[in-house]
Amino acid sequence: MSGSGRAATSSGVLSFGLTPVFLTSDLELLDGLKNYLEAATARSVRLVLRRTYQEITSLLISNQLAAAWICGYPFVVNRTALDLVAVPLRRGRPLYQSYLITEQDRTGSDIAALKGDVHAFSDPDSNSGFLVTRTLLAEMSVRPETFFSRTFFTYGHRNVVRAVASGLAQSGSVDGYVYDVMAELEPDLTGATRIMRRSEWLGFPPIAAPKNPVDPAGVAALKDALLRMKDDPRGRSILAMLRLDGFSAEPPALFDTIAVKAAYVALAG
Amino acid sequence: MFALSPRAWPITIKVPLAVAALMTMVGLVLSERVVARLGDTQERQFRDLAQVYLDGLSSSVMPSILRDDTWEVFDAIERARELVKGLRALQTLVANDDMRVVAASEPRQHPVGSPVVIPATLSTSDSQTFSFEAGGTEATALRRLSFPGRSVGLIYARFDTSDLAAERRNVILTLTLTNGLLTLLMAAVGWLLVARMMRPVRVLTEHLGAGDGFAAKAIPNELLASFHGEFRRLFEAFNSLVGSMDERETLVKRLAEEERLGSLGRLASALAHEINNPLGGLFNAVATLKSHGHVDNVRASALGLLERGLIGIRDVVRTALTVYRTDSGSRDLIAADLDDIALLVAPQARRKSVAVHVDSRLNDTSRVPATPIRQAVLNLLLNAVAAAPEGSDVKLIARGDQHDLEISVEDRGDGIHPSFADILTGAAGRSVPSEGSGLGLWTTRRLVDELGGRIEVTMPSGGGTNIRLLFPCCNRRELANVA
Repeated sequence: MSGSGRAATSSGVLSFGLTPVFLTSDLELLDGLKNYLEAATARSVRLVLRRTYQEITSLLISNQLAAAWICGYPFVVNRTALDLVAVPLRRGRPLYQSYLITEQDRTGSDIAALKGDVHAFSDPDSNSGFLVTRTLLAEMSVRPETFFSRTFFTYGHRNVVRAVASGLAQSGSVDGYVYDVMAELEPDLTGATRIMRRSEWLGFPPIAAPKNPVDPAGVAALKDALLRMKDDPRGRSILAMLRLDGFSAEPPALFDTIAVKAAYVALAG
Repeated sequence: MFALSPRAWPITIKVPLAVAALMTMVGLVLSERVVARLGDTQERQFRDLAQVYLDGLSSSVMPSILRDDTWEVFDAIERARELVKGLRALQTLVANDDMRVVAASEPRQHPVGSPVVIPATLSTSDSQTFSFEAGGTEATALRRLSFPGRSVGLIYARFDTSDLAAERRNVILTLTLTNGLLTLLMAAVGWLLVARMMRPVRVLTEHLGAGDGFAAKAIPNELLASFHGEFRRLFEAFNSLVGSMDERETLVKRLAEEERLGSLGRLASALAHEINNPLGGLFNAVATLKSHGHVDNVRASALGLLERGLIGIRDVVRTALTVYRTDSGSRDLIAADLDDIALLVAPQARRKSVAVHVDSRLNDTSRVPATPIRQAVLNLLLNAVAAAPEGSDVKLIARGDQHDLEISVEDRGDGIHPSFADILTGAAGRSVPSEGSGLGLWTTRRLVDELGGRIEVTMPSGGGTNIRLLFPCCNRRELANVA
């Protein structure tokens, strides 16, 4: 069964976890990524997909994955158990934004205008899809369940856009990178929404590995493969599909702003 | 032109109309059955599809409803749109046990958490109800969800059935067109068949003379040859009937002629007597002339006697000739005709010492032909003289103006026998007399009938017989050819 057993050690298979930070629905992309990683690491690679961030984070912390593409928020929360492997580069920077989106015909540019909405979050462990908005509300000394009439999690940034576009939710919190890529690929969907607020620039969802990996060589090979991706033709085609420039090694301090938010929210209760 | 009443319409119209009416009725009944059956099939098809749709959707939303997972329910509704081919969900709505929307396919119309109102047609306690109306553009379905024994929520869906409605409209249109065309075709075929079947009847009607006059005429052989079977036999029988009618007509004419000659025979002896009587005197005059012709006064007296005698014979012969001259046909009756008849009968009357009184008040404007009336009156007068006792009177009375002509012959005899009276006035006069007797009366009857007149026979209280002939003068022109 996927996710069970210590896959990274026994058969030499590298288990790589993916969260819905990017467009996991694209099977061509998944195949390309797998093939590239297998070629670059000379190891067999297994991509592990789960519905929620939490499932992937738990698998990672429990050392059932060699590495995983997670969000900055679970990274800072589990900082002591995880190490950074690589951070994606978007337009040359390892940074992204969180967007507050509303239906197309809504006006206003302040979160206060969203009071009473049905609000769609992406995932309770997502920085851009939950923590940023949660922090904004905490700064106003309100909690989501009282500020919004109703909230729900869609467990996918794309789903947040769908929920707002269809009118199921009047507003949503979404990853700005995912939203921008969707605006290119599915303009009809994003066209029904409006970006009401962009957050400050924050650390891009990173690839992390357990602090004490079972297969350090595997993690190292994976890190090498990711960092060299932009130099390989197949790697570049995957990066093109992902609308990324490459991966770089960044200090964990990149995620300090997110750590501050997490701490603030934790204090606010 | 057809009469207003359908009973008067020709059968070539009635039968196609009846065919069209029957076809329309059959078409209506069949169409109703087909459309009803189509409605049933469509409803069953819709139910089956809706069932699959609801089954698929309910299994995927059930756990999500329990978790109040709005997104998962919405996502399931979105995915279910493509679940069943041939079924287009216009709106799908999933509600929880509190009858509040968990998610709907049109969230703006049915926001999350808003109350759900189920249409009355579906608000039964059944776990699953459908509302399908044949020809409608929308149908609805309701499924109540329960999780072992406990009610969890419901799915309400509206479906677009306009394609089913369009299919139904097409079927109805096709049925209407097909039935209409068939009905027209059948009516046309009916018309052709009936016209063809009625052709012999039409031929028969034409030759029976139903249209103009009543003269039946035989169907020509070339026309006869175009028919076969029973109509051929019918027409042959008809032709032989016409033949025997013609023969009868010829016979009747010959009988009339013979009767005329018969009455001449009856007159012959009287005429001979009438001529013979003065002959003795004339021979005496001739003998006197031979022996005493040189004496002036004797010669003059003998010549006067001769002249008077010859004039008498000439008058008798002229009258007889006039009466029996058949080519005098188209002349109208005048008063002198009756005097001629009296003159003809005079010798017969004299022999019986019967006085014939002629009371003629004709103003010579009677528009009736002379010849047949003279023959009829002569017959009656001869009979009256024969029946009259010696020394009695026979009266011939005629009254006429431009409107009517009435001629009566009255005697003081024993009265006419009822069987002879029947020949004049009753049914016996219509057929040729079987025996020789009564031929004169039958001829009289026939002549009067042909002139459109009638005969009245009465027995005056003082005895004898009065026979009156009544003619409407206006029939003169119409009957000219008959006379």
